[in-house]
Amino acid sequence: MSNQAVGSSSGGSGDGDAPRRNSRKPKYSKFTQQELPACKPILTPKWVISVFLLVGIIFVPIGLVSLMASRKVVEIVDRYDDACVPDNMTDKLAYIQNSTIPKTCTRTLKVPKDMKSPIFVYYQLDNFYQNHRRYVKSRSDTQLRDANKANDTSTCDPEGMINGTAIVPCGLIAWSIFNDTYAFVHNSKNLTVDKKDISWKSDREHKFGSDVFPKNFQKGALIGGKALDPTIPLSQQEDLIVWMRTAALPTFRKLYGRILVDLKQNDTVTVTLENNYNTYSFGGKKKLVLSTSTWLGGKNDFLGLAYLTVGGLCFFLAFAFTLLYLIKPRKLGDSNYLSWNRSPAGR
Amino acid sequence: MASERPLLDASPDAPSPLPPASSLLPPPQREPPLRAERLAFSVDIPDPFIPSSHRDHQPDPSASQREPQEGDESRAVFVGESSGAFVGNSIRTAKYSVLTFLPRNLFEQFRRLSYVYFLAITVLNQLPQVAVFGRGASVLPLAFVLFVTAVKDAYEDFRRHRSDRQENNRLAAVLAPGTAREFSPKKWKHIRVGDVVRVASSETLPADMVLLATSDSTGVAHVQTLNLDGETNLKTRYAKQETQLRFSQDGSIGGVLHCERPNRNIYGFQANLEIDGKRVSLGPSNIVLRGCELKNTTWAIGVVVYTGKETKVMLNSSGAPSKRSRLETQLNRETVILSIMLIGMCTTASVLAGIWLLNHRGDLEFTQFFREKDYTTGKNYNYYGMGMQIFITFLMAVIVYQVIIPISLYISMELVRLGQAYFMGADKDLYDESSRSKFQCRALNINEDLGQVKYVFSDKTGTLTENKMEFQCASIRGVDYSSGKDTDGYSVVVDDLIWTPKMEVRTDPQLLKLLRGGGTDEERMLFLEFFLALAACNTIVPLVLDTRDPKQKLIDYQGESPDEQALVYAAASYGIVLVERTSGYVVIDVLGERRRFDILGLHEFDSDRKRMSVIVGCPDKTVKLYVKGADSSLFGITKKSLELDIVRATEAHLHTYSSLGLRTLVVGMRELSRPEFEEWQLAYENASTAVLGRGNLLRSVAANIESSVHILGATGIEDKLQDGVPEAIESLRQADIKVWILTGDKQETAISIGYSCKLLTNDMTQIVINNNSKESCRKSLEEALATTKKLRITSSIGMLSPELASESAGITLALIIDGNSLVYILETELQEELFKVARECSVVLCCRVAPLQKAGIVALIKNRTDDMTLAIGDGANDVSMIQMADVGVGISGQEGRQAVMASDFSMGQFRFLLPLLLVHGHWNYQRMSYMILYNFYKNATFVLVLFWYVLYTAFTLTTAITEWSSLLYTVLYTSLPTIVVGILDKDLSKATLLAYPKLYGSGQRDEKYNVNLFILNMLEALWQSLVVFYMPYFAYRQSTIDMSSLGDLWALAPVIVVNMQLATDIFRWNWIIHAFVWGTIAATTICLFVIDSIWILPGYGAIFHIMGTGLFWLLLLIIAVAAMVPHFVIKAFAEYFTPSDIQIAREMEKVDDVNQGKRSEIL
Repeated sequence: MSNQAVGSSSGGSGDGDAPRRNSRKPKYSKFTQQELPACKPILTPKWVISVFLLVGIIFVPIGLVSLMASRKVVEIVDRYDDACVPDNMTDKLAYIQNSTIPKTCTRTLKVPKDMKSPIFVYYQLDNFYQNHRRYVKSRSDTQLRDANKANDTSTCDPEGMINGTAIVPCGLIAWSIFNDTYAFVHNSKNLTVDKKDISWKSDREHKFGSDVFPKNFQKGALIGGKALDPTIPLSQQEDLIVWMRTAALPTFRKLYGRILVDLKQNDTVTVTLENNYNTYSFGGKKKLVLSTSTWLGGKNDFLGLAYLTVGGLCFFLAFAFTLLYLIKPRKLGDSNYLSWNRSPAGR
Repeated sequence: MASERPLLDASPDAPSPLPPASSLLPPPQREPPLRAERLAFSVDIPDPFIPSSHRDHQPDPSASQREPQEGDESRAVFVGESSGAFVGNSIRTAKYSVLTFLPRNLFEQFRRLSYVYFLAITVLNQLPQVAVFGRGASVLPLAFVLFVTAVKDAYEDFRRHRSDRQENNRLAAVLAPGTAREFSPKKWKHIRVGDVVRVASSETLPADMVLLATSDSTGVAHVQTLNLDGETNLKTRYAKQETQLRFSQDGSIGGVLHCERPNRNIYGFQANLEIDGKRVSLGPSNIVLRGCELKNTTWAIGVVVYTGKETKVMLNSSGAPSKRSRLETQLNRETVILSIMLIGMCTTASVLAGIWLLNHRGDLEFTQFFREKDYTTGKNYNYYGMGMQIFITFLMAVIVYQVIIPISLYISMELVRLGQAYFMGADKDLYDESSRSKFQCRALNINEDLGQVKYVFSDKTGTLTENKMEFQCASIRGVDYSSGKDTDGYSVVVDDLIWTPKMEVRTDPQLLKLLRGGGTDEERMLFLEFFLALAACNTIVPLVLDTRDPKQKLIDYQGESPDEQALVYAAASYGIVLVERTSGYVVIDVLGERRRFDILGLHEFDSDRKRMSVIVGCPDKTVKLYVKGADSSLFGITKKSLELDIVRATEAHLHTYSSLGLRTLVVGMRELSRPEFEEWQLAYENASTAVLGRGNLLRSVAANIESSVHILGATGIEDKLQDGVPEAIESLRQADIKVWILTGDKQETAISIGYSCKLLTNDMTQIVINNNSKESCRKSLEEALATTKKLRITSSIGMLSPELASESAGITLALIIDGNSLVYILETELQEELFKVARECSVVLCCRVAPLQKAGIVALIKNRTDDMTLAIGDGANDVSMIQMADVGVGISGQEGRQAVMASDFSMGQFRFLLPLLLVHGHWNYQRMSYMILYNFYKNATFVLVLFWYVLYTAFTLTTAITEWSSLLYTVLYTSLPTIVVGILDKDLSKATLLAYPKLYGSGQRDEKYNVNLFILNMLEALWQSLVVFYMPYFAYRQSTIDMSSLGDLWALAPVIVVNMQLATDIFRWNWIIHAFVWGTIAATTICLFVIDSIWILPGYGAIFHIMGTGLFWLLLLIIAVAAMVPHFVIKAFAEYFTPSDIQIAREMEKVDDVNQGKRSEIL
C-alpha cells in the first residue's frame, strides 16, 4: 500500500549497510514499556501517623535503656596537670622541660559509688589535636609491620631519620607517645593495673610486626615522649599501639590498663603518678579517668537523651498530624482538587 | 542552481531562478505544481546565473571565462585515467584510530569546562605542600569519569570503524585501463578520480560520477536517492548524447573533464567535458552521487569525479546540531551558587586556621602534634609562615571540598539521557506501523526539554497530514463528480500479462459510465482529454514490479510530486493508464487501447506562472498543449468570454473543494494548429539552446503558448489528516501548549485544515492579517491589538486574572496571517507588534510562508520569551525551523530525510507528540530535575560533614573519612541509584498523563527545578550533615574513639541518609530500584570492609571494630531517623495539605488500583 514499502523491497536489499531505516518493531516487554510491577507508596494519613508512632514507640524505650546504661557507669575523673606542678613553679613549661625536677605526684581519688571490676583506667588529653594534618600523616605503616622495610620513612618527617639512620617507629605520632605513668594503692595495697590486651587484637597481629624492634627511638634533640624498650617487638608495645590509633577528636581518652578489683563506695584510691608528658606548651589538660563500662561503653547521657528527644518529637508529630488531619481533612484522589477543577468562584 | 548555498538552505521550495526583486513577491505556495518544480533538479534546466549554461556547441567567450577551469577553482579529470592527485575513495566516519584515540578523546572530553575544573583540582593536589589525597586516590574520580566516557566513545567508534570497513571493501566494476568495455572488480577504497565505473541495476554508486553512457539509448538513468536525502522516488539523470553515442558506437571513452571543486551542494554541479575537440557542458542532471542506487536502468557507466570524503554525501554528513537543554543552562546558575559556597567554606576554614595559628604562635615549637621545627636540620618543617599557611589551607580546602560541585553529575546526566532515549525508542506507542519507523533520539542532550514545551510550531503537509495525496473530486467541464465509492481496480493487459496500478482510487460511477460510452461522443472526448491531461502532463515514471503471481504485474508510479502521483493513479483507475515513459514519448493505455504520445516539449513549473504544461503529439497527428496549475494562474489564460459558465461553475467547485481542505488544481487544454506549433517549436528550440537567459526565454515561450486555454476541469486532492491529529491537538491545547501551524498552503486551505484538525473552532474570533504593504500591515496589527485589548477588558470585568478570564469567557482569538504580510513584518519594527498580538491569541495560523519565514516566526517567540519552543516538520523546507527551535522534531514521512537529519528527535506520526511530550517529556523532565537537585544535595551533605569535622582538627583539613571513601562517595557510593531512578522512576503512569494533559504544566512552570527547591535541598543537606556529624560527635565525646572508626561511621551514615532521602522520594518501587538503592548501601559497606582490610592504611580493622559495638548501630539508627524527620514532615505536610496536581493524580491512580484489586477479588 505505501509506495515506500514496495519501493524498497524491490531494490537490492542485500548490499551495504549505509544508513538504513531502523525499522524493527520494538519488542513488547514490561521492562521496555516501563511497566514493571511496582509498589507506589503514598503518604496517606494512616501511614504518616503510624510511622511517627512506630518511631516513637521504638525510640523512647531505647532512649530509656541507653540512659539507664549510661547512668549505671561510675566514673572518676581527676585532672592533674595543674595540680601536679609544684606551687612555686610559675613557668609550667620550664618545669616540664627540666628533667632534673622530680615529676612524681600523688593524687587521692574518692570512689563515689561501688565500682565493679573491670575498672578501666584511661588517660584523657584535652586540646591535643591528634587529628592535626601534620601529625596524622607522620607515620609509616609499612615500617611498623615489616622488619625489612625499616627504611620506609619518607612519610615520617620530621621524625624519620636520625644521623642518617631510620627511626623505628618513625614519625610524629610514635615520637609523641604519652609517657605519664600511674600506680594505684587501695587500702594500702597496691592495685595491679593489667596492661595486657588494651590494644586491638587486629593491630597486634597484623599491623605491628612481632619481629620489628624499636631502633634509634627518642634519640633526637627533643624528646617527644616515652622511650620504648628496644628488646620488645612492636607487636607487644601495647601503649604504642593504643597511642598510634589516633584519636578522632581533640579531647580523647586512651586506655591505660584495667584494674580487676571491685571498689566500694567511699573507698579512697591513692595514685602515684609520673607527670612527664608535656601538655603545658599548648595549654592542654591531662586527666586520669577510672570508669566502669556497660554494653554501651562509658558514661555518656547523650545517646539516651537523643533517643528520648527524637522519640518524643515523633509522638508529638503523630499527634500534631492527627489533629491536622482531623481539622482539615481531604479526600485522597479526589479529582475536584485538581487545580483546573477548582472553580475560581469557590476561592 | 544556488550552488554556493549550503545544502540545508537549498531547499527545493526556494525559487532560486527568480530575479532579486522577487523577494518582495509572495513566497511560493506549497501547491501541487510545486512538486513539479522539484524536477528542476533532475531535468537540466538552465539557470541564467551559472556559467555552465552553454551546453551547445558554440563556445561563448564571456561564458567560458567564468567557467571553472583555473587550477585552484576546478579540477581536471582525464576520463579513464586513474589520478592519484585526489583523495582516495576510502571513507572514514570513525573519529579515532587506535593511536589517536587517547589524545583525541581526552582533548574532546576536556573541552568541557567542568572537566578542566576537576583536572585543575587534581593537578593542584599533586603539589606536595597542598596534597590532601594520595596521588593515586586523587586521580581516581576524574579518571573514572574519563574512562566511562572513553569506553562509551570507543564503542561508538568501533561500530563506525566496522561499517567503514564494510563500505570500503565493497566491490565495483571498474574499466581496466587501456581496454574497451572490460570491467574488472575493484574495491571501493581503491577507486580513484578518473576511473570509469560500470554500475548495474540496484547497485549502489561508489563515488560521485558523471554519467557517460547508460543502457538506455537516449542516455537516461534512474536513481534512487534514499541514502542521500531519503526520498524513495526515482530521479532521472542523463548521459550526454556525445558520450552516449561514442560509447554505443565503439565502446570508447575519453576526454578531459573540468569540474568545480568538491562542495556540499547536492543540487548543484558545474562542469564541462572536452571530447573530440568539442566542449560539452554538464550540469546537476549529469552527475550521480555516491550512496544512490541505480534503478530501472540495466547499467550505467560513469567517470568518477569526486571520491571518498569529497563526495557530496560525505560532505553533507554532519551530525545533528548541538543544543543545550534548559535544565543544563539553569544548572549553571546553581553551580555558581555552589562555587560561592565552596569559596565561602574555604575562606572560613583558612581564616579560622589563621586565627588558630595566631593564637598558638608561641606554642608551635614544642607542641607534639605540630612540631614546627625539624631538629635534624634545625629549620622549620613544612611551615612557611602565617600568610603562606593560610593560602595553602585555602588551596587544600578547595581540594577537600571540591565534591560540592558534583563531578559525577555530568556523566550521570549523560547515562540517564542514554537510558531515557532507550526507553523512548523502545516505546511501542511511538512506533509507526505504517512507515515502520521507530522513534529516534538524534540529539542526546535535550531529553528533558521535552517536558517544558510551551509552543509547538507545526508544518502542515506531511506533518499534520499524511502527504499521501488521494484523488477525491473531479469537476469536468463545470460538472462535479465527487461521489467516489467503488474501488474496483482497473488493469491493462500487456503481452498476456496483467498490469495493475499499485494504488486504487475511488471512482465516481457516473463519470465512469460516461467515460465508458454513455453520453455523447463529444462529451466523451472531453472526459478523455481531461484524463489524458492528468496522465500525460506530469513527470511521473511508471515502474513495473513483479508480484508473486507471474502473470500479474504492478505499476508503481514514481515521481517527485505526490500530487502528480495521485492524479496519475486517478486517471489509471478511470482507465487511462500511463504505461511507459521515456524522454521522448509516453505510452498510455486508453480504455484498453494503447496509444503513443510524443512529448514534444515540457514547460517546467515555476512560481511566476504557477503552472506546468506539455506539448503532446497525439497518434492522430494533432498537437495539443496540456496545462495544469493553480486556479488563479489558469483562469488568467482561459478564453473567458467563451467559457464563462464553465469557469464560473468550476470556480464554485474549487471553492467547495478548498473549503473541504482539498488541494485544488485546474487542468486545461489547447489544440495547436500547425503554424502555431511550428512557431512554438522554433522558439522553444532557440530558447533551450540559448546561452544567456535561457530560463527567461523558456518562460516567455511557455507564457506565449499557454494562452487561450480551454478549461477541462479541476481536481480536488485530499491530503489526508494523519490519524489522531485532532485529538492530539486538542490534548496539546489542554496542556497549555500553543500550537501554531506554518504552512505553504493557501489561506482557505490552511483555514479548512485548521478546522478539520480542531485547531480552529466556530466560537473563535479570527483576526486575519493579509496585506500587501507595510503600512497596511501596521494598521491591521494595530487594529488586532486593539481588538485583543477590548476583548480582554470586556471579559475581565469581575475577573482578576486576564488569562483566566479570556478562557472562562469562552472568547479565544485565532490569528491568521499570510506570508505576504510576514515579509513586511518579520525583521522590521512591526515584529514586536506581531509578537504582542500573537501572544494574546491561542491559535496562530501562518499560511504561504517560506522556509526562512518559518524560522523567523520561531525566532520571534524564542528570542522574546523564555518559553520552550518545539518545531515539528517533515520536509526540507522545515529544516531551518527545526534547527531554530529549542526542540526540533522530524517526521520521517514521505518527504525525505532532510528534516529528520536536522532534527533532535524523529518519529513517524504527528500524534506521537502526545506520548513524547506529555508522557516521556514529563517523565524526563521530572527525573532529570530530581536527579540534578539530588546530586547537589547529596554532595553538599557529604562536604558539610567534612566541613564540620575540620572545625575540630585545628582547621587543618584532615578528613576522618579515608581519602578513598571521600573520593568514592560521589562516583560509586551514591551515584548508581540516582542514575537508575533517573531512568526508571515514574511519577505517574502513562495512562494518567495522557488522560490529564494539564499535568504537563509542571514542566512549563519549572515546578521541579527552581531556586526555591535548590535552597530547600541545601537546607536539608545542612540539617542532615549536622545530624550525621554531631550525633556521633556528642556520643563519642571524651571517649577512646579513633579517627578511622569514626571516619567509617561518618562515611556510611551519609550514604544511608541520602539513600533514605532518595527512597522517600521514589514514586514507584520496582525490583530494579530496590536492588540499586539497597544494593548501594551494601556495596558501600563492602567497600568500607575492603578499605579497612588493607593493613597498609591506618584504618586497618576499624570498621570491624566499631561494628562490634552497640553504640555504632544505635547511632546509625538515630542518624537515619533524625536526619529524615524534617524531610518526611515537609513531604507529608505538603502532599496532604497543599497537594500538587501530580500528587492528586497519583492518589487517583492509587485509588483506582485499590478498587480494581477489590473488584478482581470479588470476581
